[in-house]
Amino acid sequence: MALLEVKNLTVEFGSEDKPFRAVDSVSYSVDRGEVLGIVGESGSGKSVSSLAVMGLIDFPGRVTADALTFDGQDLLGMPAKRRREITGKDIAMIFQDPMSALNPCFTVEAQIMEALKVHEGGTKKQRRERTLELLNQVGIPDPKSRMTAYPHQLSGGMSQRIVIAMAIACKPRLLIADEPTTALDVTIQAQIIDLLLKLQEDSDMGLILITHDLALVSEAANRIQVMYAGQLFESGPADSIFAAPRHPYTQALLEALPERSEGHDRLRTIPGVVPGQYDRPTGCLLAPRCRYANESCITARPEVRDFNGRDVRCFYPLNDQGQPTGLTADMATGENV
Amino acid sequence: MSFLETKPGVPLLESDNLVRHYDVNRGFGKPNATVKALDGVSFTLEAQKTLAVVGESGCGKSTLGRQLTLIEQPSAGELKINGNTVGNLSDKEAKLFRRTVQMIFQNPYGSLNPRKKVGQILAEPVLLNMDQLGRKEREERVRETMAKVGLRPEFYQRYPHMFSGGQRQRIAIARALILEPKVIVADEPVSALDVSVQAQVLNLMMDLQEEMNVAYVFISHDLSVVRHIADDVMVMYLGRVAEKGPTEEIFAKPLHPYTRALLASAPKIDPAHRVKAEPLTGELPSPINPPSGCAFHKRCPFATEECAKVRPELRTFEGREVACHRVEEIA
Amino acid sequence: MSENTTPSAAPAANVAEPIGAPPSPLRETWDYFRKNRGAYVGLMVIAFILFLALTAQWIAPFDPIAQDRTAFLKPPVWMEGGDPRYLLGTDAVGRDILSRLIHGAQLSVSIGVFVVILSMISGICLGMVAGYFRGWVEVCIMRLMDIMLALPSLIMALAIVAILGPGLENAMLAIAIVQLPHYVRLTRASVVSELNKEYVIASQIAGAGHMRQMFVNILPNCMAPLIVQGTLGISSAILDAAALGFLGLGAQPPLPEWGTMLSEAREFVGSAWWVITFPGLCILVTVLAFNLMGDGLRDALDPKMKR
Repeated sequence: MALLEVKNLTVEFGSEDKPFRAVDSVSYSVDRGEVLGIVGESGSGKSVSSLAVMGLIDFPGRVTADALTFDGQDLLGMPAKRRREITGKDIAMIFQDPMSALNPCFTVEAQIMEALKVHEGGTKKQRRERTLELLNQVGIPDPKSRMTAYPHQLSGGMSQRIVIAMAIACKPRLLIADEPTTALDVTIQAQIIDLLLKLQEDSDMGLILITHDLALVSEAANRIQVMYAGQLFESGPADSIFAAPRHPYTQALLEALPERSEGHDRLRTIPGVVPGQYDRPTGCLLAPRCRYANESCITARPEVRDFNGRDVRCFYPLNDQGQPTGLTADMATGENV
Repeated sequence: MSFLETKPGVPLLESDNLVRHYDVNRGFGKPNATVKALDGVSFTLEAQKTLAVVGESGCGKSTLGRQLTLIEQPSAGELKINGNTVGNLSDKEAKLFRRTVQMIFQNPYGSLNPRKKVGQILAEPVLLNMDQLGRKEREERVRETMAKVGLRPEFYQRYPHMFSGGQRQRIAIARALILEPKVIVADEPVSALDVSVQAQVLNLMMDLQEEMNVAYVFISHDLSVVRHIADDVMVMYLGRVAEKGPTEEIFAKPLHPYTRALLASAPKIDPAHRVKAEPLTGELPSPINPPSGCAFHKRCPFATEECAKVRPELRTFEGREVACHRVEEIA
Repeated sequence: MSENTTPSAAPAANVAEPIGAPPSPLRETWDYFRKNRGAYVGLMVIAFILFLALTAQWIAPFDPIAQDRTAFLKPPVWMEGGDPRYLLGTDAVGRDILSRLIHGAQLSVSIGVFVVILSMISGICLGMVAGYFRGWVEVCIMRLMDIMLALPSLIMALAIVAILGPGLENAMLAIAIVQLPHYVRLTRASVVSELNKEYVIASQIAGAGHMRQMFVNILPNCMAPLIVQGTLGISSAILDAAALGFLGLGAQPPLPEWGTMLSEAREFVGSAWWVITFPGLCILVTVLAFNLMGDGLRDALDPKMKR
């Protein structure tokens, strides 16, 4: 059984009669020792979906799901107190901006020890030793002297290490990292990702890595899912999803990368922008921007289905040559399943 | 003096040993510290070319942009346009300068005045620098420029908050272009944008370069973007140039250890492109208190005793300029 | 058929698509404002008071200073001995209290508005200069404001009126001066934070001069907190004017200013409660209405309060 199981998770904002679906029936699962990468552009719902898992969506957001289980326990059905225990101890989350994740009024030591006190207990001495051990674990040079430092005295990379130390303080079984390196420089980003992967491997954690950086997930994750405008568009193993994308969006996204356009003058672009709250298409959400879209894409919304071992939300998934399949005359009249 | 007059054999933009120091107040009773944000940077930029300035935060690349657009006056060194030194400008010269050098900012959400309509935002540079144009001509020019960057005419009356990031960046590009400058300093123009929109904006910038003969100083931390758009690359570290040369050569064979580390750290989609290398240890040193000798020596895998003592000067090696003592051995 | 089914090539991808239209900022602010019931009630009360003030000449049953020698200290109409002509009774010299209150609304509202306009304009100018130029200009202006804030406001107003001489105009001037530091500090704070934004630098590169930067580019972006402060400022101006009037340094009798009415009625507190209660209630309701509306405006204009 998977560690975290999410089935048809939907998050809605706004009024009851005209809701805005920030996340639209997204399903995924993460296992022990697995790295799941969630990629998407801004507005794709990648952060909101993980906030929903953590129970951090406040009113007026509405979270519904067919199943949201952690280690077999139903997260949605359980009392709020029990859920907080789980999300604090067994599921941990780190955010994009390490500076705002730390309280500027307290020292590093005080903040880590506070986290330990709530969930682990133990004497003050034990907790201090554990703090030192954690700082060592996340690769902070000279941890003894950093214990008494305040967050503003640390660089961005150091702060993110501290945040990671706090997140792993209670030995979580699942770590959700939301854009953990976006605010950092490239050389520091490499260090932090290496650290996260090492911690994940050592303790057999599940890791969800949320980012907009395709190259980053392709290097770090085992499985990847691509999100767009709140929907899951494609998911599959990391080594094949970018080598042979099945969804036109994944394909277009890859082609828009400068890395894929070497030797060309122009980059291939995706016209238009991600649909917002007020201009969602009635058919496939990508239809106005998709180069393969036809009538049926504009009128009907595709469901996620299995295609060559990959979950794809498209009427005409791409083959190995990057050409759409299933475009026969009778299928284009709207008989697609 | 005319900035606009080109002379054969003279580069469009030349920076000669530009220096910018900031005084930092360290609190009551302590002497002020000096931050050498920019410590002697020289380069030339030819018309219609793109020079990329690459480095991590704190390397001085944004400070360089601020000197080039005269938002700040450099502490030392000279800035030349078509061979003319830009010093204390009279009003008339300042107008000419602004019509030669313009800027695009990183954050399209902060760089457009939220209380002004797109038309007003674009008209401001024309209003202030092209006195000879009347109201009608001004509006015509704004509309022409909007068409050039792919903004629809009806956007003229809209406020910036009604646009997405990519469209805002188009507005910012239109504002920089409306005076038909020769040089545009673009400070991380696509780093706040999504991948698909980033490609649109980069294409637009390249199209406009051809159409309007503009040269770019392209400040960025994203190496894949730089590789795509730039003719020359200048890698900076802690206010100084580490390596400078043609884009293709630098990406094919980086000489300076820092350039190598940068290239190795950037994640790649294709497994074939990935460089197996140990990630760089340590962090960027504080510019208030830079290391002795080579600023990079504490993180450099090739550092020797000499590196800790003597600061390497920029010198030519294999047709490129590199600031490293051991470049011969490393290469 | 085949034309429909073959995937068409992407069209030239260089025209920016419009995104859907979110509600305009004004509309959004109004929606938020309306949801705040207290603020909405405040707005209604203010509209009513404004209506009274504007139409006082026509709707007030009597001249506010006309005395009826046959009707001294008549109680309100519903009490024993009340005169049906004088709905809220009369005061010690036989003037109709209702008429005086309606005319008093005119005075109070104009005091509030005038004081706020005066101190807001000068406060914005000083704060803008301090925030924009920084350096010693800022030090001089801000320290002066700090000194003004260090004195209790009413005492300072008293001192200023004592120097200028009693009277409504001088009282308003004094109150405007007392309120000045709030606007200066508020303006300076928002200017300083706006100054670091890139649009200001972009305009600088475009060649905008200091005046243009200060008043065309930066000021409109600083207005939201100033509008809120202005609304709250009207209520405190009315209150201060009433206090000065009560102490005999503001509006002089027979002007029907609410504070002055209170002061004139002091000796009848025990015997004729209506002379003092109604002006007091008017002050209370008006001030409360402006405060409620100010709070609502603050929530509506502050993006951080929005969901």
